[in-house]
Amino acid sequence: MTYKEKLNLLEELLLIEKDTLDGTVELNSISEWDSMAVITTIAMFDSVYNKNIKSEEIKQFKTIQDIIDKME
Amino acid sequence: MANGILKNVEIKGIACAVPDHLVNNEDFFGVFGEESVQKFINMTGVKTRRVAIDEQCASDLCYVAAKKLMERLNWEASTIDALIFITQTPDYAVPATACVMQHRLGLSDECIAFDINLGCSAYVYGLWQAATMISTQNINRVLLLVGDTSNFGINPNDSATAMIFGDGGTATALEKTEGKDIKYFLKTKGSGYKYIMVPAGHARSRSQTIVDKSEYELSMNGADIFNFTITDVQKSLADFMAENSIGKNDVDMYVFHQANLFIIKHLTKKLGIPIEKVPISIDRYGNTSGESIPLTLVDALGSEQSDDTIKLLLCGFGVGLSYGAIYLEMKKSACIPMIYTNYYFDGVDKK
Repeated sequence: MTYKEKLNLLEELLLIEKDTLDGTVELNSISEWDSMAVITTIAMFDSVYNKNIKSEEIKQFKTIQDIIDKME
Repeated sequence: MANGILKNVEIKGIACAVPDHLVNNEDFFGVFGEESVQKFINMTGVKTRRVAIDEQCASDLCYVAAKKLMERLNWEASTIDALIFITQTPDYAVPATACVMQHRLGLSDECIAFDINLGCSAYVYGLWQAATMISTQNINRVLLLVGDTSNFGINPNDSATAMIFGDGGTATALEKTEGKDIKYFLKTKGSGYKYIMVPAGHARSRSQTIVDKSEYELSMNGADIFNFTITDVQKSLADFMAENSIGKNDVDMYVFHQANLFIIKHLTKKLGIPIEKVPISIDRYGNTSGESIPLTLVDALGSEQSDDTIKLLLCGFGVGLSYGAIYLEMKKSACIPMIYTNYYFDGVDKK
């Protein structure tokens, strides 16, 4: 998956308009980043990357880039 | 893990009673905002819920279900050997609600009656307990009552819990029957006991003189519960099916605890199960705690008249963390139609 495809996947997951996110965006600044978004993020890692990401790990994420770094 | 086969036991009937009072989650637009509520509905699947009025307890709903079921099966009260009541919203701190129910239902003084405190996994644990008694003891008939009024003790301003739960009470009749078996596995992951919790109100915090009101309310860690479901529950269920040679064609219906539509869909996909075999009730009844599995069965099969058998895989998972599954066959006609009621106990039960 390319970098842009990863951003688009996160936009789809967070119900954010396409091509509006970049790696520097802070998660706290996104109103869509809530408890439901955390669950859909865990589901995405599970189904797309076969990775089990715990909520403690997600709490450490500060920016979109932190999520993308794990998307491999 | 705890697994095995319990022989010579069958479910003869299942009934479910839910409150008349219908709550539409769109009514929360003014509390949490339309966009936020719509997002919640889309993810959890909960559009409407049945919510008990203040006077109505889980025991009242179970009472209505049990009465109807005993009438349908022509079970005389004196023929019931044991009553098991599973709830997290008992009538009183003391005594066990099962004892009150033994009296209210007019069961014999020879009857065993006790409570079990479990939530999401209540039904599979209850079936195992009832089946164990019938299979290994001189017990012929067991009435298993599972119900909760989970909306009791919910913070109406907490969007995570205010719109998710529905209330209900169920009754399941099990009887000794030659040649009918129940396969099961049961597990516990107590390290996650804080994931769904009401911290105050019982012995642990009794010495605290000042307790924050929120400590009496249910708190839920959705992310970690989701993680538990897609890892521990999914793997254990897949192992259970493999170890017992239960192929996908050996199951007519997979009935999962109605935790949240997103969780059910994800679990279904991971297990490679056709979604058509997974009945859903959470959209109209909400997350109905321990009674969600029998409620979903009644919702799906309540109008069935056929005496054909149906092969069921039932899986409960959640608070505790506690989980397990049951594989069994029963008649399609075992479930009776959903009962809607505003009944509550005012000190005098009509016999």
